[in-house]
Amino acid sequence: MATLDALLAGLARERSTGALRLGRNGTIFLSDGRVTYMECAQTPSVERMLTARGRMTETALRGLQADGGCERLLAEGAVTRGELQYAVLGVVLDAAFFLLPTGGTRPKFRPGERHWLGGQWYFDVAGLVRECARRRACLAATWPSADVDTLPVRPVLWLPGHAVTLTRVQWEVVVRADHKATPLELAKQIGRSGYSVLLAVRQLAAAGLLAAPDPGRATSAENQPEAGPLPKRARHPYARPPHDPEAAAQPLGPPVTGDPTDLALLMRLKKALEELS
Amino acid sequence: MLGLDTCVAEVMSIPGALDAMLLDHTSGMAVAVSGASGADTARSAAALTETLRATTDGLARACPGEVVRIDDMLVTTDKGHHLLRPLETVFDGPLVIYLRLDLERSNLALARHRLRSISSQLTT
Repeated sequence: MATLDALLAGLARERSTGALRLGRNGTIFLSDGRVTYMECAQTPSVERMLTARGRMTETALRGLQADGGCERLLAEGAVTRGELQYAVLGVVLDAAFFLLPTGGTRPKFRPGERHWLGGQWYFDVAGLVRECARRRACLAATWPSADVDTLPVRPVLWLPGHAVTLTRVQWEVVVRADHKATPLELAKQIGRSGYSVLLAVRQLAAAGLLAAPDPGRATSAENQPEAGPLPKRARHPYARPPHDPEAAAQPLGPPVTGDPTDLALLMRLKKALEELS
Repeated sequence: MLGLDTCVAEVMSIPGALDAMLLDHTSGMAVAVSGASGADTARSAAALTETLRATTDGLARACPGEVVRIDDMLVTTDKGHHLLRPLETVFDGPLVIYLRLDLERSNLALARHRLRSISSQLTT
């Protein structure tokens, strides 16, 4: 089965124009082989960013979308061309970060389809893939454990020190964190890109400002169907920040990867996929 | 109305400008660059945003009780001036303008003034 990267590279080679639908996950819009817009169900769209910051109302946006499109949006002066381009750039890179690794959801290409915000900025497929890899490396360098990406954000109730400096996004995350919302849900509420919120959450985790995940709630049955005989994942021995007094001693050299749970799951997936094809 | 590409061209028209770049502060990525100068744009973009971040951090610690908002940042080397100017946008960011100026041929006050007017055209 072709991966999404390969599929996109093929569409780029053929200089296709149209929309590649990835089931419920999102849609990639191409024009002449270059990506012009991407929608991802998990990350905020340009429309969401405009409304979350109080720049426009949803009804006004829908009106624009139906009649006039981008040119009217710019003419009305709510945003400048530079800002709109920057918004599209940010949203597409953010969507790519979450969409490109998914892949296997029966992609369907519809030639000729366009997005109303397409044509603001053009991305070549290789550049998108490269930028996503760079962002992934940045996240891993900030805090190696991906657990905090999907769990509810729970800032500690008491500061493990006297003072702390927060960046803007970190501040917004701490203020909005209700101990239930995951980073991506927070991103939609605040109207910031999913990546910037993930990065802020990982920085908070690295600074020891997030409560240790609650093992009971982390695998609660409400949003994840009980997986039955799947083995339970063992807590990382160094999932606490290094300066936490209860943290295990850091091993010398890079952390050991290859969690036996992951390996067992990968083996089972590989076998299932081989049986399918 | 300025777009991102035209903004870089506008910045390059400042007297004494050698290089200009638009950076995305969140991801440390070069958004738009002026011509080929032989510089490794990807790396310099990442390092320059890190410079700005570290400076903000240092200033925040140096002036306790204040919310730090940087207007622009100037580094002067023996060969030239380097200006960094973060721009507030409604979206993520900030977007950062980086400009390298020739030490002999540039007028720093003029360059800062022009950058200010360009940024006011780029954002609402």
